[in-house]
Parts: sequence; C-alpha cells; structure tokens
Amino acid sequence: MTDKPVASHPAHSLPVGSRSDHLDLAPRSIPPIPPGAVPVMEAINISKGFGATTALVDVSLKAYAGRILALLGDNGAGKSTLIKIISGVFPPDRGELRFRGQPVRFASPAQARGRGIATVFQDLAVCELLSVTRNVVLGREPQKGIGPLKWFDLKRADEMARSALHRLGVRWERGLEERGVNISGGERQSLAIARAMFFGSSLLILDEPTSALAVRQAGRVLEHIARARDEGQAVILITHNFRHALSVADDLTILAQGRVVGNFRRDETDLEALTELVASVA
Amino acid sequence: MAETPEDATIPAGPSRGIIIGEALRRFMLRPEATALAAVVVLFVIFTILSPDLFPERLTYISIMNVAAELGIMSIGVTLLMIGGHFDLSVGAVLGLTSYVAVVLMRDFGMSPIVAASAAVVAGAILGGVNGVLVVRFRIHSFVVTLGTMLIWRGVLIALTGGFPLTVETPAAFKTIMAGPVLNGFRMSMIWFFVIGIIVTFLLARTKFGNWVQACGQNPQAARNLGVPVDRVTIILFMIASALAAVSGVIQVARFASVDALRGEGMELQAVAVTVIGGTLLSGGYGSVIGTILGAITFGMIQVGLVLAGAPGHFFRTLTGLIVVLAVILNTDVARRLARSRPLAGFRRSSAAADAAIVGIKEETDPTAEEEPTRDGVTRLGEPQG
Repeated sequence: MTDKPVASHPAHSLPVGSRSDHLDLAPRSIPPIPPGAVPVMEAINISKGFGATTALVDVSLKAYAGRILALLGDNGAGKSTLIKIISGVFPPDRGELRFRGQPVRFASPAQARGRGIATVFQDLAVCELLSVTRNVVLGREPQKGIGPLKWFDLKRADEMARSALHRLGVRWERGLEERGVNISGGERQSLAIARAMFFGSSLLILDEPTSALAVRQAGRVLEHIARARDEGQAVILITHNFRHALSVADDLTILAQGRVVGNFRRDETDLEALTELVASVA
Repeated sequence: MAETPEDATIPAGPSRGIIIGEALRRFMLRPEATALAAVVVLFVIFTILSPDLFPERLTYISIMNVAAELGIMSIGVTLLMIGGHFDLSVGAVLGLTSYVAVVLMRDFGMSPIVAASAAVVAGAILGGVNGVLVVRFRIHSFVVTLGTMLIWRGVLIALTGGFPLTVETPAAFKTIMAGPVLNGFRMSMIWFFVIGIIVTFLLARTKFGNWVQACGQNPQAARNLGVPVDRVTIILFMIASALAAVSGVIQVARFASVDALRGEGMELQAVAVTVIGGTLLSGGYGSVIGTILGAITFGMIQVGLVLAGAPGHFFRTLTGLIVVLAVILNTDVARRLARSRPLAGFRRSSAAADAAIVGIKEETDPTAEEEPTRDGVTRLGEPQG
C-alpha cells in the first residue's frame, strides 16, 4: 500500500482511510417496477424441509431485470436453502419457480445454468493456480482448429477475459497471466461476476460476496454489482450485512426462521428499521 | 500462463543484469526447473565419478531406455495427478495388459499390432473401472487404486501361475516398439517423446487441459461453471492406464515375455518421477516436460550408479533423497516465487491492450503501474445517476 495522495488516482472514487465504515456509492433513485413487467425469476410459496427441520415456509420473491434484490437474514434464516433451490441444487418440497413467467423445475444445477442463472458462491469463485484468463473462460473455452482437431485459442481467450473485466469496469493493472493465488478476495468476486455477465447470465445470484472482505474491497465489489445491474442483469444479493444491502439494493426481502418477514423498496426503509424488524422476530 | 522465453528479451530498457535476473526468476517459476537442475547436476556428478564410462553414447542409450519405459507410464500418472488423483494400480495394469498382449499373440495367433492395440484398450477399460469407482462412490483414488492394484496383480499371478510366459514376436514388432533406430537409440524413446509432446499440448493448449487443471485445483468451482468433472476424472484414469499398457507393450516387445511380477513397484517410481518433475501432489499444477526430465533423472541414477560401481541399494536411497529434495524445492521455493513480482522493467500493464480492444483512450498512471498493490487494481466504474 502506498501513501500517495488519493488525488493521483482520479479513477478511484472511494475514500481511503477516512470514514472506514462508509460505502461511498453514488445515490440512485429507485425506478418503479414497470406495470406488466415479468420477473426474470419468481419463487412462489416455496417450502422445504430436511428431515425434522423446516428450512423454508411459503417463501416468495421476485427478481427483475435491471434490479438488485437483496435477500437478508441471519445465519440459519434459510437464505442458502432458497438460493440452492433457485440454482437447481435441490428441488422445493412445495411451491413453484417461474423463469420469465414460465413454471420451471430444475433437475440439476446444469439446467439452471442453461437458463442463464449464474450463481457465485463465496469461496468457490476461482481456481488458484490458473491464470486470470483461464479462470474467466473456464467451461466456455474458445477453440480453434482444423476439422475435428481443436485447440484452446489463447489469444481469443485473453481478449474475452479483458473485455469481460472491462464491461464490469475493472481495469486489471497486472497481466492476465497472473494466477489465482495472487488475487485478493474482492478481485475474485469481481472476476466471478464479470465472468457470469460476459457469458450472458440473465440472473446473477451472489452468495455473501462481501462477507469476507475488507471495507474498501467490499465497496469495489458492490460497485461492480451495481454495474451488473445497470447492464440489465437481474441480481439476487444474499447478505447478512444490512449496510451493504442498503447501499446497492433496489428491493429487499427479509427472511427469518424460514419465512419472509418483510418486503421493502430500499427507500421505504433504513438501517434502524431493518435491525429492529430482525431483532423482533429472532 | 506459460511464459515464453521471448518475453525475457523485450528490446530496449532493462539492463543485461536485470534481463538475466528476470529470465532466471521466470525459469525458477516453471515446474520443470527442479528436474532440469537434477539432470544437469547428476550428469556432472556421474561424469566426475566415472569419466571414462558415463559420458558415452551407450550410456545415454541405456538411460533413455529406462527413462522411456517408466516415463510413458509416468506421463499418464502426471496428467492424472494434475487432475487431482492418484493411481497406484498402473504397475499392475502394465503387468496384466502385457499378459493380454502375450496371450493374444501366443495362444490366439493374433498379429502383434492387433494384440498391442487390444492391450491398450484393455488398459483403458481397467482405468475406466478405477475412474467409475472413484466418481460413483466418492472414495479417495488412493484407496480405490490400492484395491485394484492388488486385484489386478492377484489376477495376473493366478493367470500366469507364477511362471513367465514367452512369445515369438516378429522382428518388425520389436523394431516398431523398442528396436534401435537412431544411432542405437531405441524406438521406445521416440514414442516417449511423441507421447510427451502430445500430452503437453493436450494439457496446455486444449479445453480439456484447462478442465484437468481446474478439476485438480477446485473441482467444486469447475463443476459450478459447467465442467463435467466426473467425466474428466474417468477419462484421466483411462489415459493413465492406457499409457501404462503402452509401456507394457514396449516391454513385451523388448523381452518377448511376461511374468507375474511385471511392472511391480513401477507405480511408486512413476509417482517419484512425477514429483521430481514438479507436479504438485495436491494436484492442479504440473508439467509433462518435467515428468520427462524426471524420468531421465531416474534413468541416470540407475545407470550412473552401476557405472560408478556403487552397491545396488544406493539406487533406492539416492532416488529417495532426490524425491524429498525435489518436493521441498517444488513446493516451498515455488510457492514463494509465485508470489514474487517481476523485476522493474518487466511489469506490464494490460491497460494499453484494454484500450485497444474497447476502443477508448485510457489514462495511464505510470506510478500506479510500478507499484500495484494487492487490492489496488480495479478502477471503479463511472459514477452512476
């Protein structure tokens, strides 16, 4: 870390050192959901139990294109179960998922992926010893070749990685051959988001993308999530950090003990009200 | 990922000292560095120990002989280890597939080409069994292949009754698989290099190779991104055993026989060769070129010690020492170096390339490029609203 004045980084709008808990995101007035808009993903009265434990009871949510839905709740509130159902890891016991208005049943995560549902899990974003490029194109490697003989198009892959990062507003100062071990936690999340967007996801699900990050890095990742939203992605942001949710989300759904206890637009609520609400149910 | 040597000779700028330093740094980052160092150091030592006998063409031929037969099998083990798995059964697979080749030629009168192909297919099937067991039952490959090693070996002993089986093979078969071709160097060496080149290409320059590395590093992430991890794993086991069968066929061509203990112990030698070659035991990272050098190291120790008149047991001790040393170098030093930064003058920024692609003029800040920080690499998007 250098102690050069911040002014020499005009591109970095985040304050360094001061107000360490403040996330300086540009305020955004929340547009209303246009009448007749169909959610990219809608969960209707989802219930799920594991043996004797009930994980979810009649949970509903709607994720629209160009909006960030924050899914809030304490540990054990059912957030993970819900996103695993949406991303096809397991089916719900009762209830229905609708993708762009059509009822869907995912038999596997691959089927959900096929619909453009990209889930970024907190610890599972990056292969540590692969280069940035190889990480970005993993699973969608560009190929060239003669007839049936095909090989990995490294040059094209570099271009893809570069434009994927660019689209998210990430400028990679180091070479794209940098390995995953040298990438910070925040960069990993951003890389995973860039990857998901670049390969045409329609719904981006982010599982606690900021929980393991320092404030400054968390701010960057939130900026990148906002950028994904502005590019027209539907985003579901799972977090237990109300502050982070309030700084980027358009809509908030609060889960407690497997039930939805509140649905808000961000400008209808604030930190205090949310804290009180969650404290009252717990 | 691979640094080409050309990168180290960018014209103008850094002094010669820095160019050499940077080239050395990059070389040390390669997984093959240790194995190459071992080859050079051992060559010097053995030449000093037996100056009349060691630096001779016949010696090199013997070394390559040992290296090729062990090395072809080790290449498969390397690929599998990069994919995150072990195979202890390859030695037994070599024995059993050799038996298949010999019996098909001797008792069924098949042509050597058909018999050899059948042996390789049999190897792939045996490997497929390993792979399916590992993938289906989620058992560690170490345990699965320990089991199949004992099973295949038991079957081989039962089939041969413990006696060697000999077979008459046409001269052409021997020539194609293991005969002397280049100045006395054997065909097995050619096969070894050809297979090495093909598998290196597969690993570094194909989609499958990327998947193999990803599977070895973070199978869950790979799966999340749509990599068919289970299928890749099964294919890797099949390749490992098929290459073991190729080694077996070469030995059949050379000895015109098979016996119950053929290939025994080679599975561990293959692991040793792979590790000397810079492949991480933990998977995800490694090099086939390193394995080729590792196999040559192995051959040099074996032949060199004989020529130096050392007692036979020295072989194991010295091999063991080199394995331990190689692991220390490969894991510890490489880990530190991997986090090291290029020397001044070689730090490059992708900003210019970014600008070229996106078609915008980037404002570059040279001081920022000089000292990139761990987290100071992203440029925030334009303020919205």
